[in-house]
Amino acid sequence: MFFRLLMESFRRQRRRKLLAGIAILLGTTAVTAMLALATTIGDRIHKELAVYGANIVIYPKADLLDVKIGGVDVKPASGGSYLKESDLPKLKTIFWGNNITGVSPELPVELAAARQSGGTLFPARAVGYWFDHDFGGLKTGAPALHPWWKLHGAWPTANAATQNAMNVAVGMKFAQQLGLKVGDKFSLHAAPGVGASSSTATVVGIVTTGDDTENEILLSLQDAQMFAGATGSVRRVEVSARTKPEDAFARVDPDSLTPAKREIWYCRPYANSIAYQIREAIPGAQAEQVRRVEQSEGNVLSRISGLMWLISAAALLAAGFAVSAAMATAILERRGEIGLMRSLGASKGAIAMLFYAETGLLAIFAGTLGYLLGSGLAAWLGARIFAGDGGSAEAVLIPVLLPVVVALALVVALVGSTPSIRAALRMDPSAILRADA
Amino acid sequence: MSEAKVQTGPLVDPYGSTRDDCAVIALKQVTREYAGHGSVVRALGDATFSIVAGEWVAITGPSGSGKSTLVNLIGCLDRPTSGELKIDNVDVASMSATELDRFRADKIGFIFQQFHLIPYLSALENVMLAQYFHSMTDEAEARAALERVGLDKRVSHLPSELSGGEQQRVCIARALINNPPVLLADEPTGNLDAANQTIVAELLQDLHRNGHTIVMVTHDPEMAGLAQRRIALSHGKVFCHPVGGPMVTLRR
Repeated sequence: MFFRLLMESFRRQRRRKLLAGIAILLGTTAVTAMLALATTIGDRIHKELAVYGANIVIYPKADLLDVKIGGVDVKPASGGSYLKESDLPKLKTIFWGNNITGVSPELPVELAAARQSGGTLFPARAVGYWFDHDFGGLKTGAPALHPWWKLHGAWPTANAATQNAMNVAVGMKFAQQLGLKVGDKFSLHAAPGVGASSSTATVVGIVTTGDDTENEILLSLQDAQMFAGATGSVRRVEVSARTKPEDAFARVDPDSLTPAKREIWYCRPYANSIAYQIREAIPGAQAEQVRRVEQSEGNVLSRISGLMWLISAAALLAAGFAVSAAMATAILERRGEIGLMRSLGASKGAIAMLFYAETGLLAIFAGTLGYLLGSGLAAWLGARIFAGDGGSAEAVLIPVLLPVVVALALVVALVGSTPSIRAALRMDPSAILRADA
Repeated sequence: MSEAKVQTGPLVDPYGSTRDDCAVIALKQVTREYAGHGSVVRALGDATFSIVAGEWVAITGPSGSGKSTLVNLIGCLDRPTSGELKIDNVDVASMSATELDRFRADKIGFIFQQFHLIPYLSALENVMLAQYFHSMTDEAEARAALERVGLDKRVSHLPSELSGGEQQRVCIARALINNPPVLLADEPTGNLDAANQTIVAELLQDLHRNGHTIVMVTHDPEMAGLAQRRIALSHGKVFCHPVGGPMVTLRR
């Protein structure tokens, strides 16, 4: 009879249930959308912050060593040691290799440039880069890791290089200094006794970067290696990886952890653990997290998460009040039923149980529907907020959220309806039942 | 039914203590007071009377006379402030709220002026609801109860699909389903047209003939005339009349 009462009440009194149902539905829709966005926001924020550059940098371990003679640091300013370009594919073999979204090796070389052959020589810093390099199926290089660089013209191509003629891009300030335009030629000279001696460079692009790169010549890594006389070498590698925001556990020294904890640390995509795995994979390499981007990412994430929790809590609170108001109306309309049940000998507990069961069932229905709608809303919002990364509404169905959202709906609905149910049970049944009351 | 004489004070229950042994309802100096704004309102004072099993009693009186209070007490929806109230030989005055709920389900069958049927349940389900809160449901028994009130063809109809008279008959079937010793009818014909009033009155007469104890609140002199005895109320005081006693006009 209990279930009959419950079912018939739903079947034949849909209008009465509608108001409370809509309140729960709206609340759970908002909460699901916020929670779904909060759980997927890490990837999206990473994509957004990727425009600010790499989050891991690799350089030769030798750079860490102090070379002091008589208290004077005699280590060369630019460093004298290199990484092997042939070691870079090992980056794809680390545990979190698939999280690496960009790689940009660099090789700086000090050159002298003249506007015309035989003309005045200016000191010029040149840096060799990958520009559109196929890295195990990933097209990457300096432009990918420095998306804010603005190029007028084209990037140099490595295969166009010969000993005597090469394509280069130049920084905007350098171009102004030498009066260069796209298509102009100038001569490049290496330091005496190092690699190729000189070459004619054709400007294929002029780059605006907003930093010191504007004073540089950007050439293909292969050409830089030729000038430096360091075939197959790179000085520094910037890596962009999809990482988990840093927390206290991310900052611990993995070697101080128990094997089990170390395993957990190792298998979490912290920038630190990826850097650690890179150090393991490439002998002689020192890999470190670039804290500027990492910390920004963590800060942005924690602030956005905080905001989302706040919105979720506000949505739940609003839903609670709405349910409370809707239940108060519904129960007021049904006070005759309550009076009747009391007269038939129903205890207050039995009546409360019936109303709570109705509310609970409504919460489960509305919560499930809210979960589905909220998932759709999250996809739609995600597509609009992060329009830069594609803008398509991908489904954000996170199964683990379903029980969480339904449980929240139940709590909100039951707590919201409690004042009305208690008030209804306090009413004098005889006053409700008697027509002249 | 003629008007005979004016009473100015409470009458003594003519059956007195000799009826107490077979009384299904017995009140001894029952008082009910309500706390008002800084004062105490006495809704019923020193009520003493009894109703024996199988008796049909009408409770009459103007609004504010204490009828509701008396019905609430007899219906175990309320407890007296003082005095002794026995239903089926059990003193309900000292019962807890939970005990009173249980006791009410066992002992009292309510018939309401407004019928109070659950709108989303069929006639049959409305009758079964009383079984559910009493013990356990028995559909065959519920059907038999509806058949007894002439509604065997209307069992699956919703209250909105039944006439007023039919709804009241469902209400009577519901009141009867748990075989309570007391049927408490509150203006049972107050909301019915003449034709349906006759049907319900005949049904109550039939129940009385079959030995049911009926306590009926009514403003309708004709309905009150069907009862064996009338208990009149005025200003919280009870006036009892024997079977076939004269009608009383109460001076307000």
